[in-house]
Amino acid sequence: MTDRSPMKDQVAIVGLGSTGFTRAGNRSPLAMALAAATEAIADAGLTAADIDGVVATSEPAAKGSEEIAAALGIAAATHHTKPSPVAMFSILDAARAVFSGAADHVLVVTPVVMGPWNSRQAAGDPWRRGTRSGILPNPDDATMAAAYAAWASRYIHEYGASKDPFARIAINSRTNAADNPLAAMTEPLSFGMYDAGRMVRDPLNVFDMDLPVDGADAFVLTTAERADALPHQPVLIHAATTGIVGKNDEDQLTTLGRTGQHVVVEQLRRTSDIWIDDVDLFYPYEGFTIITLAWFENCGFCPPGGAEAFLREHWNDDTNRIEINGRVPVNTHGGSLSEGATRGTGHIREAVHQLRGTAGSRQVEGAESALITPGGFFFNPQGAVLRRG
Amino acid sequence: MPENSEEARSEQDVAIDDAELIGLFAGHGIDRDSAAHFRGRLERRLVIHRCDDCAHWHHPPRPMCPACWSWNITPTEVSGRGTIHLLMTLHQGVPAPGVDYAAGHPVLTVELDEQSALRFTATATPDFPADQLEIGTRVELDWIDRDGTPTPAFRIGTGA
Repeated sequence: MTDRSPMKDQVAIVGLGSTGFTRAGNRSPLAMALAAATEAIADAGLTAADIDGVVATSEPAAKGSEEIAAALGIAAATHHTKPSPVAMFSILDAARAVFSGAADHVLVVTPVVMGPWNSRQAAGDPWRRGTRSGILPNPDDATMAAAYAAWASRYIHEYGASKDPFARIAINSRTNAADNPLAAMTEPLSFGMYDAGRMVRDPLNVFDMDLPVDGADAFVLTTAERADALPHQPVLIHAATTGIVGKNDEDQLTTLGRTGQHVVVEQLRRTSDIWIDDVDLFYPYEGFTIITLAWFENCGFCPPGGAEAFLREHWNDDTNRIEINGRVPVNTHGGSLSEGATRGTGHIREAVHQLRGTAGSRQVEGAESALITPGGFFFNPQGAVLRRG
Repeated sequence: MPENSEEARSEQDVAIDDAELIGLFAGHGIDRDSAAHFRGRLERRLVIHRCDDCAHWHHPPRPMCPACWSWNITPTEVSGRGTIHLLMTLHQGVPAPGVDYAAGHPVLTVELDEQSALRFTATATPDFPADQLEIGTRVELDWIDRDGTPTPAFRIGTGA
């Protein structure tokens, strides 16, 4: 493992664009990607002529970086890639391109779509019928999404956990989504509604699973130096990493006590000057609620199995959400469970809004740093510490 | 070298050709490296890759031992005995013959007796006692038919 972190504070996120997220989308993935991309480039105070890097996340149905470049009328790009889904793969790819000198202004664009594999509504839409997710149709596997229900059973078994901490993750996201105009699901969620939720993959119910949506996020990254001349307060990538363990096949993972999340946390702790006692904001991924409990524990907010007691202790009954030590809010945008399943781009976009002071009614006064931990247990755990420049 | 394991596999072949095998297991992502495992299923044998040099088992099937980088891999039948390690009940999923999501479709990840953290995931037999379908229960491999294809399923264990 490396202790080197030459990129620390050298790359800034300077532009944000988002379509917002909806369960009733009628635009193509390319149209959504372009809407977010043009907004992000304008937000950065730039034009197509400035963009010399295009990173297009390989979401199902998404167009590649070459088609994004064509549709935007980019003159030429010296960095163009198609990273796997889950946000930090694309953000880190862009940051490393900027830091290495491969490009000066890199666009990241990530459209997400409801597909026949995760939405009955989408399955009936002829424009989506041919969309493929790459998920194999075998009912007897504990892979992909199903693996989270399987390991949730193990977590409950090992720690004697109740569903209470799972409910608190879901309710926290829904409470916060109410203040987010981009969010797809804003109807208040109570403990009773959670308990009555339709069981999908027991022990996980419909409220434990992220919300399939249509929409897109886009970002523009450049050097910290160039960022100072652009319109917004720059937000710097202080530390960032991805992490896996070698034995990461879903049902072969040795234990929840040693996953890629642990690798991510160890690497962030080696390279970040800012950690959980200092951060003002926490964005743990909640594609499934079990993932979030693990991030709380693995980041060190509480010991393994301690999320249930921790979340109860740090719950604010008046605001109906988590506030760590009465101070640090969690997933202020409503997360993947309620804003919509962006696979972490929403978490990053919201952290940047907060740190540069453009979060509107959700603004956390004086927020200077954020810990963001996208990804699950197996092949996509990731983390970043962002700070105001 | 990989040639050795190719020979070992060919001895286990049943009388269907590759195209037919691939057709039967396309939904499982069958490839050259997992062909012996799926041919084993047709004979109702659970075949897992084992290293000839260091005796390490690994699953899903890969062409090289992840413990010692040996290419001398022999797909080897396991006892099918183990302990439920992960457990879920699916109430929705892709349609499949004989799978009733309305009633709840159990999926068990079983830690096999052959090696610590060597696991195989399958459903339960229809007669599995519901009150013993829980993590820690001892189970044994059985086979059910799904549209004519033998499909592994675990039944309640009968002994240690």
